[in-house]
Amino acid sequence: MPEPMLELKGVSVQFGTFLALRQVSVSVAEGEIVVLLGANGAGKSTLFRAVSGLERPSEGTIHFDGQDISRLAAHRIVREGVAHAPEGKHLFTEASVRKNLLLGAYVRRKDPAGVQESMEEVFDLFPMLRAKAGDAAGTLSGGQQQMLSIGRALMARPRLLLLDEPSLGLAPLVVEEVFESILEINRRGTAVFLAEQNAHAALKVAKRGYVIESGSVAIEGDRDTLVDNPEVRRAYIGV
Amino acid sequence: MTLFLQQFVNGIALGSVYSLVALGLTLVYGVLKVPNFAHGALYMAGAYVSYVMLTSFGASYIVAMAVSVVVLAVLGGSMEWLVFRRLEGKTPVHSMIAALGLLFFMEGTADVIWGPTFRQVPTPFDGVVTLLGVNITEQRILVIVAAVVTMVGLYLLLKRTLVGMSIEAMAQDREGALLVGIDTRRVALLTFAISGALAAVAGSLIAPLLLVFPNMGELIILKAFVIVILGGMGSVPGAILGGYLLALAETMAGTYVSFAFSELIAFGLLVLVLVIRPTGLFQKGV
Repeated sequence: MPEPMLELKGVSVQFGTFLALRQVSVSVAEGEIVVLLGANGAGKSTLFRAVSGLERPSEGTIHFDGQDISRLAAHRIVREGVAHAPEGKHLFTEASVRKNLLLGAYVRRKDPAGVQESMEEVFDLFPMLRAKAGDAAGTLSGGQQQMLSIGRALMARPRLLLLDEPSLGLAPLVVEEVFESILEINRRGTAVFLAEQNAHAALKVAKRGYVIESGSVAIEGDRDTLVDNPEVRRAYIGV
Repeated sequence: MTLFLQQFVNGIALGSVYSLVALGLTLVYGVLKVPNFAHGALYMAGAYVSYVMLTSFGASYIVAMAVSVVVLAVLGGSMEWLVFRRLEGKTPVHSMIAALGLLFFMEGTADVIWGPTFRQVPTPFDGVVTLLGVNITEQRILVIVAAVVTMVGLYLLLKRTLVGMSIEAMAQDREGALLVGIDTRRVALLTFAISGALAAVAGSLIAPLLLVFPNMGELIILKAFVIVILGGMGSVPGAILGGYLLALAETMAGTYVSFAFSELIAFGLLVLVLVIRPTGLFQKGV
């Protein structure tokens, strides 16, 4: 197996006396789609927040491209090539769709031509965003905001995209659309690390994954292992 | 009619200064959620720097103001760096008390350096222009024009530059700003520096019309809070409009009712707005 692009080794995150992540070790290779399954509060978001620098691990290391990024500030990590579409989206709700996308490319501000090109790519991926380019982000529907959140992350032209529960609160048809786009993003060469409760949808696109429970990795394996695991079936697929 | 026009012009001049002070306050609040009472001290310091440049260094009025803007931008930035940055993650009460402490500390410092004396600031613009029977001092014209120029400049900075976009982004969603790669600490520092510069413009403009003294920032900062609450906390258009409206209301009340009554307006409005419409009269939107 080649050297993983993202590698967490024994990462713990502590909030006061509460241990949100305990010695978690996971990895994502170049060009992969990896899913992180888990219930609400299991630690999926905390893990992503640790990777993108919004939380500091109390122990362990996070390597991206062989460099330890666990002590880097969040705004530096984006520059390294990790973009995060977070839980709650955190869009700039009063700014237009176009401005949100432009801000997504903040780290590439010295390359306006490349930014325009990326904006076209995002519009091709989500044509709805082009139609709504002038509208304030806050006026979009839940599904549209999710697409904008993914689009904004893509504007940084990341090599690794962290997607935190993109299906949350969306109608089944929209979920399908979002997952289609995840496959397309991956085809264009971006690795995707996907946190989901919707294992059914997630395991259709991911080849490999982890199940996280109470802050620890409980199960890991390829798609078939996870689909066949009775616990995964009971807890996350609902069979 | 002439009296009305005369008071209208005076109100607009006063409103220009109110708006400039409120703008600095609302920017810092919008971006950092710090209710910066010390902004009143920045305004006072801006007036003193101009005073010193004019009287001790014999600088021209424009040079004095430019020096004041630079000094106050540095002072505002240092305030963020030395104090408010270290209070990140603490309760809003911490920032508020720190801001009040800074206000009194800076007033005390001015008192030590210049004493409690009221200072008269000279201006080369002491002529009077008569228009439609209205007498306007050149200084008032300068106040009105310079304020508009500053506001247009601020607008262009916020809407047309990447720096401005990053300030707006941070005001709307700090975490979102971090995730797109904005150095939020740098933006915080910059916002305080801009706020200091705005205070310097306001203080330097008003200095020749009023007197300069250590506590000169207290009443105006309270009024600026009224304006910012009236206009919606963090709203730039709200601060501008609110500043002019409050000054006009005060000037007109002072002319047609009584001077004592004019001082009641701001704080009467404050209580009224807080009770009836706590979110302010305008929609938030930097």
